[in-house]
Amino acid sequence: MAVNPAGLLDLSLADGVELTQLIDEPGAHISRRIYGNDEIFELEQDRIFRRAWNFLGHVSELPNPGDYVTRDLAGEPVVLIRGDDGEIRAFLNSCRHRGMRVCRADRDNVSYMRCVYHGWSYSRSGDLVTAFAEELYDPGRLRKEELGLIPVTQVAIYRGVIFGTWDAEAPPLEEYLGDMRFYLDLFLGRTDGGTEVVGAPQVWDVSTDWKFCADNFTGDNFHLYTAHGSVVDLGMLPPDPMSLSYGYLVRAQGGHVLHLVPGPPDPSFEYFGLPRDLVPQFERNLDSVQLGLLKDHAWSVGTVFPNLSFMQVMVQGDIGGPNVTFLSLRAWMPTSATTTRVFSYLLLDRDAPEQFRRDSYEAYVRTFGPSGIFEQDDMENWEDCTRVNKGKIAQRHGLHHGMGLHLEPDPSFPGPGQAWPGSYGERTQLSFYGEWLKWMTHERPWAS
Amino acid sequence: MSETTTAAELLPVGSDDYSRAALFLYREAQLLDDARFEDWLETLHDELVYEMPVRQSVMPKDGTGFVDGMTFLTETRNSLLTRVRRLQTEQAWAEQPGSRTRHLVANVLVERGAAEGELNVTSAFLVTRTRADLPYDFFSGERRDVLARDGERLLLKRRQILFDQTVMKSYNLSIFL
Ligand code: FES
Ligand SMILES: [Fe+2]
Repeated sequence: MAVNPAGLLDLSLADGVELTQLIDEPGAHISRRIYGNDEIFELEQDRIFRRAWNFLGHVSELPNPGDYVTRDLAGEPVVLIRGDDGEIRAFLNSCRHRGMRVCRADRDNVSYMRCVYHGWSYSRSGDLVTAFAEELYDPGRLRKEELGLIPVTQVAIYRGVIFGTWDAEAPPLEEYLGDMRFYLDLFLGRTDGGTEVVGAPQVWDVSTDWKFCADNFTGDNFHLYTAHGSVVDLGMLPPDPMSLSYGYLVRAQGGHVLHLVPGPPDPSFEYFGLPRDLVPQFERNLDSVQLGLLKDHAWSVGTVFPNLSFMQVMVQGDIGGPNVTFLSLRAWMPTSATTTRVFSYLLLDRDAPEQFRRDSYEAYVRTFGPSGIFEQDDMENWEDCTRVNKGKIAQRHGLHHGMGLHLEPDPSFPGPGQAWPGSYGERTQLSFYGEWLKWMTHERPWAS
Repeated sequence: MSETTTAAELLPVGSDDYSRAALFLYREAQLLDDARFEDWLETLHDELVYEMPVRQSVMPKDGTGFVDGMTFLTETRNSLLTRVRRLQTEQAWAEQPGSRTRHLVANVLVERGAAEGELNVTSAFLVTRTRADLPYDFFSGERRDVLARDGERLLLKRRQILFDQTVMKSYNLSIFL
């Protein structure tokens, strides 16, 4: 990466436009050129995804030594494997001999990671144990101790969620998450046993720029009454379009954002509608400010920069059915400038009661994921936005992100970060794009 | 139908129950392709269990890769009714404009079910979907159905959709399989 003296990276795109012209956070204008553009995609891979802490998985996906799952990290295949020592490690999933993918299933349990091309075998901790016909090498030529699988540069776990980065200079994960940890704990750290993945993720491919997914999950609460108008018509959301406009838009450190939305004044909406049996655990695991926020809200959606989103929302899975909450994690993995592979997980508190597990699962599958009665309409928007914004005429005109910008952060909000009153607004989206620009232009984005 | 079903237990093609089951599937395909969803709902049993498990790419020793406990669809008659009612609103954007589907059903095998009057029916399906000017989407797999007799008609009481894809190569699943 070319670096200029001010700690800025090379700002010019091929046609001479500067990256800084694309995002005007104070003016609330975003250039359409950032979407669906191959040059931007390559720069994002270089400057964001190969440097940031990316979501890799959840510890419950690898319960036993030898368990592996295969994933992508910044567009390259990686394998997460639990070693005999219980540690979860992550490696570039590529043999040191000819580069073959070593672990080829989505998941497996193996004694060794054995390459199917010429048989080089790696231990569960990634060391090269045997090569083929070792006696045919000059003594000293095959230095096995130097030919282990290439480790993901840094791997760390926060509340059961596994992250990795290719950047040796990235700050520790806890620092990267900063005070977003306070909010993540409402969802991932509220019970004694933490959360676990239910089954496996739903995975599907969407023809969208990944940023539309992240943008939507920064806490776009005001798309509900149009994008999800069908669900309003079904009587599954209150008819008044302003009824979900309360709460806060929150910007934590590092451009991580979320919204917090209160339910109607009905005790069943307290604690996000989570099972009451768990409240004593919430009291044990959360501080009083966190506990208050958990009690007073029913819906939250947010995004850990760049592309890990989460949602804890109460929904009705079918007409006449109960309102049930679920917790989902989303990784929006860019596969090209115009395509994204979506990984959608359902998480449950390990200590959640049986009936709730069933209800939460049904509510999640029926409303979100590719078949969800909410989410099917989201993809409609993201795909069309991606296609249309590629137009050269369209690109002469910016996109408007100005809702709620006159509001000042509420100083009485008890949590960390900045919190703007009301959950309809574009502060969190602008924060996301501001952070995006910082990563696209700064040599040390986490420090500036 | 299970892996242990023998050829002798399969009802002959053209036998009465075989024909009824095949006719059920063909008519269902037509109802879905013609977007006659109200009529389709009439073919669903009140106790319908309708599931489409998520699948992973696994080594043969680990079986077919269908995931225990996670699905792309986990439906009842009421949740399918909800989906149909959704399509009848004027804001179901994923299907407005609508998908054009073609449900192709083949390899129909029928055996007697566990309960009186029930038939276990497996079939292969290929569903094509095209929408606006977008390229074709293909959904293929196996259906494992239980059809229950209700007077003169058959009703769909159980459907397991064994999908062929692990990563769904379609931006949504806004149609019925
Ligand atoms: S590529 Fe792996 S052993 Fe040759
Ligand atoms: Fe949405």
